Amino acid sequence: MSVNEAKATASGTVSQVLQPIRGRLIGAGTLAALGSMLTMVPLAGIAHIAQLALSQGDAVGNWAQIGGQVWQVLGVSLGCLFLGMILISLGEMIAHLADNRITGHLRLAITRRLAKVPLGWFTSRASGEVKQAMQEDINTLHSLTAHFYTTLGRTVGAALIAVLYLFAMDWRMAIVSLLPFPLFFLFVARATKASSANMQAFGAGMARINNAVVEFVNGIPVVKAFGVEGKAHGSYREAVDAFAAAFTDFTRPLVSAMANAHALITPVAVLGIVLAFGTLFVSLGWITPLQILPFALVAPGMCAPLLLMSYITHDLHNATGAAQRVHTLLHTPVLENLAGTAPLLAQNAQVRVEHLSYSYDGETRVLDDVSFTLKPGTVTAIVGASGAGKSTLARLLLRFFDPSAGRITLGGVDLRQLDTAQLYRHIGFVLQEVRLIHASLRDNIALGRPGASQEEIEAAARTANIHQRILALPRGYDSVIGEDAQLSGGELQRVSIARAVLLDPPILVLDEATAAADAQNEVQIQHALSRFARGRTLLVIAHRLDTVMHADQIILIDNGSIREQGNHAQLLARNGQYARLWALGGYQQAKEKAQSPC
Amino acid sequence: MLKTFIQLLGDDAPVLHRYLIMTLVYGVLCGLTIITLMPVFNSLLAEDLRTAWQWLAVLLVGVLLCWALRRTVEKAGIRVGIAVLQRGRHRLGDHVAQLPMGWFNAHNTARLSHVTSQGMMALAQLPAHVFTPVITGVVTPVVVVAALFTLNIHMGLIALLTLPVLFAVFVLTARLGQHADERFNSDTAHTSRRMVEFAQAQSVLRAFNGEDGGTRFLEQAITRQQQSARHLIHVSAMSVVFNTWAVQAAFAALLIAAALWLGDLTGSQLPAGSVVAVMLALLLVSRFVDPLLEVASYSEVLRNARSQLAVVRELFAVQPLPQPRNPQAPSDGAVELRDVSLRYETDQPDVLHKVSLQIAPGSMTALVGASGSGKTTLVRLIARFFDASQGSVLVGGVDVRQMSSGQLAAQISQIFQDAYLFQGSIADNIRIGKADATDAEVMEAARQAGVVEIIERLPQGLDTPVGEGGTRLSGGERQRISIARALIKDAPILLVDEATAALDAENQAAIAEALARLRGKRTLIVIAHQLSTVAMADQIVVLDNGQVSEHGSPAQLSEQPGLYAHFLAQRRAAKGWRIAGEPASEGSV
Repeated sequence: MSVNEAKATASGTVSQVLQPIRGRLIGAGTLAALGSMLTMVPLAGIAHIAQLALSQGDAVGNWAQIGGQVWQVLGVSLGCLFLGMILISLGEMIAHLADNRITGHLRLAITRRLAKVPLGWFTSRASGEVKQAMQEDINTLHSLTAHFYTTLGRTVGAALIAVLYLFAMDWRMAIVSLLPFPLFFLFVARATKASSANMQAFGAGMARINNAVVEFVNGIPVVKAFGVEGKAHGSYREAVDAFAAAFTDFTRPLVSAMANAHALITPVAVLGIVLAFGTLFVSLGWITPLQILPFALVAPGMCAPLLLMSYITHDLHNATGAAQRVHTLLHTPVLENLAGTAPLLAQNAQVRVEHLSYSYDGETRVLDDVSFTLKPGTVTAIVGASGAGKSTLARLLLRFFDPSAGRITLGGVDLRQLDTAQLYRHIGFVLQEVRLIHASLRDNIALGRPGASQEEIEAAARTANIHQRILALPRGYDSVIGEDAQLSGGELQRVSIARAVLLDPPILVLDEATAAADAQNEVQIQHALSRFARGRTLLVIAHRLDTVMHADQIILIDNGSIREQGNHAQLLARNGQYARLWALGGYQQAKEKAQSPC
Repeated sequence: MLKTFIQLLGDDAPVLHRYLIMTLVYGVLCGLTIITLMPVFNSLLAEDLRTAWQWLAVLLVGVLLCWALRRTVEKAGIRVGIAVLQRGRHRLGDHVAQLPMGWFNAHNTARLSHVTSQGMMALAQLPAHVFTPVITGVVTPVVVVAALFTLNIHMGLIALLTLPVLFAVFVLTARLGQHADERFNSDTAHTSRRMVEFAQAQSVLRAFNGEDGGTRFLEQAITRQQQSARHLIHVSAMSVVFNTWAVQAAFAALLIAAALWLGDLTGSQLPAGSVVAVMLALLLVSRFVDPLLEVASYSEVLRNARSQLAVVRELFAVQPLPQPRNPQAPSDGAVELRDVSLRYETDQPDVLHKVSLQIAPGSMTALVGASGSGKTTLVRLIARFFDASQGSVLVGGVDVRQMSSGQLAAQISQIFQDAYLFQGSIADNIRIGKADATDAEVMEAARQAGVVEIIERLPQGLDTPVGEGGTRLSGGERQRISIARALIKDAPILLVDEATAALDAENQAAIAEALARLRGKRTLIVIAHQLSTVAMADQIVVLDNGQVSEHGSPAQLSEQPGLYAHFLAQRRAAKGWRIAGEPASEGSV
């Protein structure tokens, strides 16, 4: 792709992202342009008054004669000044409100989009990245939306009116006094060109330093604990120094050119040029001294807007990059649902896993041609070493991803044909990792059914063994997690069980290790899970074999494929891998103890 | 604002001083050069071309000097920027490296990482892009005012009065924005937390997206952020408007004063030369107002800069743990707590209350207690994550506050929950525990920690890169590498949090094996989870509500009724759990 094409798509992205507020931005820019034209009027007014006063010559002035005119000019000037100010303020306001609107709109759009992308998208990214895109990248757009268009309007307006006015006054003076401004752009263009060669090195340096910072900051506790403080610190220092060097290299060719460019459009330099040529032209008899005045007044006034303009344009590169990232995010592929509406599912629908394969990277298969059935009301346990594919299987069943090959059906309907709400009404889960929302306990339990009554919520909490604990909190069910509800890991786990209980799904996916998350609460969680599981179709990801020895069906997965399948007695009788694991685990003892329940 | 900058730059502060002085001089020189337009114009209007050329020459010399100085100022500004990027980052790094481990929670690390990368970049831009125009925009008008006095005392006075009034308006409007700014920042922080939550809890949000989807909380937060952003826009737009209107009002006042003066002149019969003075005054007025308008337009940028610097100031204000002047070396692996109390905030209750404990070198101690009873805090005090509020912690007979952090670190190895891995290979990460370990030693530690099963699956084995923060490995795998790292470190004391480190059966086995092997050779202090671990211990310490409630050998404690006996019963019950099937094992709490 050529550079031009890349640029074209970049600006295309920006205009696509800004589409909803384009009209407002153009309006704001126009208002700012008109406003800045009007604010230039007083300068012309001053020149006019000077003309009036001095054209009296050495003759004794008669204020009565010109006084009226002077006040009139002054009145018009001030009127224009304040009207211009109002227009500029209005333009800025509109631009800022448009910015406010688009940022809110984009954040909500991204939120809704991401709620539909495959869950795998989230697991392959740090949560900080998502926040970065939704918060910082959209903030970066601010300089584009809130400032660029009004600044452009003001600069163009001021420049246009100044050029017209000055040319009307005297074309020769106009040409020379406006000379610094095109020269400024020439210098800037040269500087940009000089630096673009180093841009890549600079970008790489930037990525490296950010990396080093992350590692340094997160690694400090580790290096402190191991007393090797020199290590992470050392590489951080190196990265800092390397970046400073890269930055110096990057700016060196820029500094000189930019300094010249900036020095050129200072009011002092412009004034110097105006006066030098003015004096020359007066000496040549081309103009009268008084004719220099408009140029001395107006030309320096163009410096500030131009400088601001170049500063904003500099910012624009970041904004374009951000717009592109936002655009990509808005077009993240979502989980595609198969065509056709799903029929209503029976409560006791059966889950069938048919020739299921899955690969995270397209190469190694984590699951390979797995088939089995979960009959309504039965318990199925998945056992196998960690990394064998147990959790992947559970995730596919919950449609965190879609299978690479094969399919999973619920009541004969492909999961991809069901909308998510329907799916999760039928399949609930309690996994090892607890995720609660920063909200009240009531809201957390009622997450899936915001309309649930207090009785229903309390009943779910009782099933999950957490009701009494919640009542013991100062604000009971209104306590907010992490604020006035400081709950232990196991207690949080029980809240998450209550949440699943309230949805009352006929099919449940359960991670047995859930219970082991918290030693002190283990028994309570176990009871909660047992109570919850009763009467449901159950799929258990098991880590300890004895926990699931009574399951109706035990599936041993090894390297992504089903190795053995059957109930405990059948599998022991086979004398295969399961029997070996059972012997290794030393569960005999536990089994004996289990005969006498406590 | 400057104070924080100077603090950040440390030894490089002179770079900033040089830059500031040069900018001031530049501003004054600009003002002086502008003033020379008076004699140029005067002589031009008097048709005295010779004098005009002479003064013009002076003016042009001034322009050239300004040009040269401007270049120097720009370069000096960049130098300050580079000093921020280099020295500032070093100073920040040196500072946070001394902070107690307890400080590094998720919130603080996220903030620190943002300040060190993007924050410093933004600060580095300030001198060249913001300070230079603002400083010259203030200094030049002051010089112009002085010239205005020589022309007309009334206009001079008006301009002079304008300066403090404008300053007051600028300060006032900045205050005006502050409240709205704070509200916006807190709403933004809230939304950011919701975004992180949205990403982390996505599976749950999706599974429980009943009637209104899993986006409800985030959408509410975004809406609130937008509302306070709109409020901020109104306020800050108001403040920019106020600022510019104030400047323009001054401009209007000066124009009217000039017109009145002109009226006086032409009314009384004075020579035309005085009328020229009015013109010159008006010219100066435009040079007076213009830079001030520019300064007014920077108010929003300056406010942002101030809030960025405030974060830097807060970071520097966090005190490192005091280091002893004459560090004493610990003698052995003994640990002792003498009447230790700890509270995190002065207005909160004690997390630990008057805990006294003696742990002999080479013995094994199991800490048992409900969550929140203070086990983790106790272990962290030994590793000096923070200092006790009262009492003292002794390691090897020496108060931990009397040791250098290196001496203490050499004494202790720890297996905790947080398993941050550095970019590099698995072997590199294991060697963090012992830099000069031989390949055989690394392999042995890998074997003991169950890392071997991981590396067998990987083509590059021990040399497999772990990715940034270890992201190429699963949580359990990272944890096992961190166990290997702790095991290879030859420290007399090993602290283990079994409950959080044993994520899965493999980790559990690795920890159990390590404890069995090291028993009697090292001082082992374990937050115990497994019955077998507790049974191995020489002494058991039961914590309840921050206090030691029971204390003794496993045999002693199991015979007396109490918290430990209850713990044992619970653990036994847990072991016999069957997830389904025999109803007999259910429902009896």
